[in-house]
Amino acid sequence: MYGWTGTILRVDLTHGTVRRERTDRELAHDYIGARGMGGRIIADEVDPQADPLGPENKMVFAPGPFTGTFAPSGGRYNVITKSPLNNTIAASNSGGTFGPELKYAGYDAVIVEGRSRTPVYLWIRDDEVVIRDASAFWGMNVHDAVDAMRAETDEDAKVACIGPAGENLSLIASVMNEMHRAAGRTGVGAVMGSKKLKAIVVVGTGPVTVADPDRFKSAVLSCTGKIKANPVGGAGLKAYGTNVLVNILNEVGALPTRNFQDGHFPNADKTGGESLAANQLVRPKGCYACVISCGRVTKTDNPLYPGMGEGPEYETAWGFGADSGVDNLDAIVKANYLCNEYGLDTISMSATIACAMELYERGYLTKEDTDGLDLVFGNAQAMVEAVRKTGTGEGFGKRLAEGSYRLAESVGHPELSMTTKKQEMPAYDPRGVQGIGLNYATGNRGGCHVRGYTISYEVLGQGPPMDPHATEGKAALDIAFQNLTAALDATGSCLFATFGIGGPELAEMLSALTGEEYSLEEFLRAGERIWNNERLWNLKVGYSAADDTLPKRLLEEPIKTGASRGEVNRLDEMLPEYYSLRGWDADGVPTQAKLEELAL
Amino acid sequence: MHIKYFATFRELAGERSFDLDEPPPDVAGLLELLATRYGDRFRRAVLADGHLGPELILLVNGRNVRLTGGLATPLTPRDDVSVFPMVAGG
Amino acid sequence: MGKMLMIYPDKCTGCRICELACSFQQEGSFRPGASRIKTLTWEREGFSVPLLCQQCDDAGCVSVCPTGAMHYGPPGSDLVELNQDACIGCKLCVIACPFGSVNYDSATRLIAKCDTCAGAPQCVAMCPNGALEWVDDAEQTRARKRVVGEKLKAVFEEVK
Repeated sequence: MYGWTGTILRVDLTHGTVRRERTDRELAHDYIGARGMGGRIIADEVDPQADPLGPENKMVFAPGPFTGTFAPSGGRYNVITKSPLNNTIAASNSGGTFGPELKYAGYDAVIVEGRSRTPVYLWIRDDEVVIRDASAFWGMNVHDAVDAMRAETDEDAKVACIGPAGENLSLIASVMNEMHRAAGRTGVGAVMGSKKLKAIVVVGTGPVTVADPDRFKSAVLSCTGKIKANPVGGAGLKAYGTNVLVNILNEVGALPTRNFQDGHFPNADKTGGESLAANQLVRPKGCYACVISCGRVTKTDNPLYPGMGEGPEYETAWGFGADSGVDNLDAIVKANYLCNEYGLDTISMSATIACAMELYERGYLTKEDTDGLDLVFGNAQAMVEAVRKTGTGEGFGKRLAEGSYRLAESVGHPELSMTTKKQEMPAYDPRGVQGIGLNYATGNRGGCHVRGYTISYEVLGQGPPMDPHATEGKAALDIAFQNLTAALDATGSCLFATFGIGGPELAEMLSALTGEEYSLEEFLRAGERIWNNERLWNLKVGYSAADDTLPKRLLEEPIKTGASRGEVNRLDEMLPEYYSLRGWDADGVPTQAKLEELAL
Repeated sequence: MHIKYFATFRELAGERSFDLDEPPPDVAGLLELLATRYGDRFRRAVLADGHLGPELILLVNGRNVRLTGGLATPLTPRDDVSVFPMVAGG
Repeated sequence: MGKMLMIYPDKCTGCRICELACSFQQEGSFRPGASRIKTLTWEREGFSVPLLCQQCDDAGCVSVCPTGAMHYGPPGSDLVELNQDACIGCKLCVIACPFGSVNYDSATRLIAKCDTCAGAPQCVAMCPNGALEWVDDAEQTRARKRVVGEKLKAVFEEVK
């Protein structure tokens, strides 16, 4: 096989065994890789009713065919498992260098099964695969653990690991790699923790081969040129990072503020990419094979919040900023660093603190509950301390570690959790941007912007201008983005490559690389297949059309200030059309005809 | 009228915001006025062959002018204007 | 006039596309171990720099080579060249290079060093950040190279 390595590694932690299997060619063709192939493996091998934190759950670490090549910004991998946060197929996407190294070691995927009794890590050097004792590293934060495991293996090893949050089974724990890069969402870190797997440490020295090198190179050069020529992919993201979005979302009135109580934050500018570039930015940073470099190497000298590391990107700056009512960018940066060290999802962490702040201000949580923290909106020091407590799992941190839904439910107010399917929504207010609301509601892993980033068209002017306040055409737009993104994720490409290239270019690179001819139609059908596979899983674990919704606040409480004042999300105008265009019945169940069309 | 600049436009304008007591009647007039004030680089970023520059996002009261009539979008002294280059993230 | 490969470490974002371009040029596949150019990254500091053969005028690798396999190119070429047939794999050149830019490829068991892709370096062509340039070897570019060298030294101090 070309592009794919042809080998999958299966590791059983209960029995301490390691097995190599051939990558199924048909599976690879139909599901491409990463999120696609991993999702199919989970659906085939894990009982939908399995305890996500029990030995019967499995984890798949999967790069895509592009990963390890110079396909522009194509070096990503996914962590796929049954989510302990919300039972969906968690497919959490990360850049960095871990994914490419797995490919060079020879693997299209590593499947981890069972559960170890004592802490272990998996050491992979090409064909040599060993389950090693990790007792000495258990309890270490991410940065120290990475250094320590490299010292024990190879100084150039690539490491995907959990921090204390994952060890403590926090439902918002991430899997970190390269110290600052996260497979952040849906609590994948807790599954690793439940298996007592501290890390996968890998060194790979083999090749990723190419079916048609000349054709692939010319496709890559053309795509790279298009991304570099795009004002966003070329210069914008590198200069200001994704955090440049704070101001524009605030100006259009869709920057969720104080746990979505409003859509406009008066002090937003202090937390935006312009401010970061002027104050904390050291230099831009790229993931493996990235031509964009949106990463931010940053530093704060503020004596209250000292540190050096990476971030924040936009969602993080929003969550620890506007959503928590905080305008101190040093504190936001520090909170981001702590999440990276403890291994926490910055979106769910920040949105959970924002929820706790509202619960506290309304009197549903008291100072006794919060260990004395005065958790009012805008209290930056309390926010940073709350992150620390969550990371270490002490006191009130234990409750925050469960995410906002369980926290709000525990005090009888689940309606104040800004989640869909129990996962925290990110930084775009569905009242100010209608299409993204439909995407959150139908998101197969719950509240998430990167499954169907309609913001590109509705706000950012990347396509034909679309009114963010209108609902017309949004169902079709969402579906197009969701299908394309599913296929793109499966290749190992970064979503930001779409600021320059689209389906035709991705299909051409994939064809040249793998030697399997993907027409545009076939490529997009793979995306639709991946989406429907995830949907079928959700129906099996007990979700129904009733869960394709948004928090009541977003459907009933209008935005109070700013440019989207008076707006609510009009989901009911979009959802029936969405089901119908998807080929699903009125209950959101894929029809037999649709399943046959997709060979599901 | 309050005009705010973001990202590269802060560099092009050399200021973060600018107030106008009596703005021109429409976006075309405003961009001409601003281009004269800030010079050629700014002009090239906001106008292209007499049309809205393709890499410009211009909001009047938070609404993209491409949805409200483009250069012909009417203006009043009470309007808030936000000037962005094409940006993105996620 | 000869050409030289200039490094601008302040522009490098650590993406390692140069390594991929080099290995692809050598083998038609992607195997960073085959790359003649290597990006060094300090993760905690988020600092990266590409390092490759500087085609030194007074080259340690040539001085230590016992067989003459590593040698200066013909007059006017400004390159340090490797004659693979004469190489006995002793790796003295690897040890001697102050930039760590003579590589031993453990997969092929061969010494590998930059040959500038015969005057069309692919790392330069593919670098998305302008961190590598293929420029005329004039006195002013040499002066610029010294400035870059000083900067590089300063950054190395910073990340230490």
